Amino acid sequence: MVRNKNTKEMITAEETDILQEIMNIAFGRAASDLAEYIDIFVILSVPYVKLLHAADLPPYISKEIKDYDKVSVVEQNFWGKFKGNAFLIFPSGTGKKMISLFDGGDEFIESDPIYEMEKETFREVGNILIGACVGKIAELLGDVITYSPPRVVIEKSHRGIVSNSLFDPDNLAIVLRTLFEFNEKNISGFLFIVTSQESFAWLKTALHKFLEQYE
Amino acid sequence: MIKRILIVDDSPISIKIMKSCIPKDKDYELFDAADGQIGLEKYKDIKPDLTFMDLTMPVMNGFQALEEIMKLDQRAIVIIVTADVQVKAVAKAHDLGAFSLLKKPPTKESIAAAIKEAADALAKRG
Repeated sequence: MVRNKNTKEMITAEETDILQEIMNIAFGRAASDLAEYIDIFVILSVPYVKLLHAADLPPYISKEIKDYDKVSVVEQNFWGKFKGNAFLIFPSGTGKKMISLFDGGDEFIESDPIYEMEKETFREVGNILIGACVGKIAELLGDVITYSPPRVVIEKSHRGIVSNSLFDPDNLAIVLRTLFEFNEKNISGFLFIVTSQESFAWLKTALHKFLEQYE
Repeated sequence: MIKRILIVDDSPISIKIMKSCIPKDKDYELFDAADGQIGLEKYKDIKPDLTFMDLTMPVMNGFQALEEIMKLDQRAIVIIVTADVQVKAVAKAHDLGAFSLLKKPPTKESIAAAIKEAADALAKRG
């Protein structure tokens, strides 16, 4: 999974597998939290873990979402020993479909501009999915984290969604990616969780501690 | 009596965790498979007394594999082990014939209790 020769020693195949399973557990819980809040069934896929240079992060994410012309993004930063950024990315047109998932959506339509409603809906969904997923990862690894308020960008070109200045370009980043669908509304999206090199030493130790519980 | 246990999961770590949680004192024969399709073939081959099945897997997911196994053997005991604990996912697994469902990550206690429950059910069937 780790292709870059220079980054090979930074995370082993076993550590990648542990992180992938932890992401699987965490996103499963996040989906359950969201499904309790709004009446949907989230179809999950196998998560993917990739180690790359921070400078390659924006083109990597752009490539992953290349099928989406315009996107809406919820971004949230998190801090703890596990530190980084989360991006929840939906294709164009998702906001309007998603509004109808929320109770009282019709009343909302009467009083607020559609743009504000979409923003609020994305903020709510992002808060639940990102918060529950990142929170569960941290919990399984014995950390406690705090979050920035979610930032929402609506209907923007997928290029430049992730800033070049997010991390030191000379450093490395680990990307956890999962693709999901909301069954009832034909909505799909990506969740990317990116953690920076400063978390690596702690993360490697925490991953081994997680597995040691079972040895 | 439970002798052969099949674990179907695409994550090698999850399989390692499952194997470490299964009690060692009963000398179970453990088998594993990396996706639903391989799991189905192994099921036909080894005819396990109990199958632990993940849901989110490539090639053939756990719902599909469960459905196929139940078509082959209506008395199959398949316990779903998953992080996907959405009410609709749990209901679908039960509708397809799952014996029970365990949340990931499992514990030694939850696995031991699930095996005991499955063994009791087998004993009642005679």
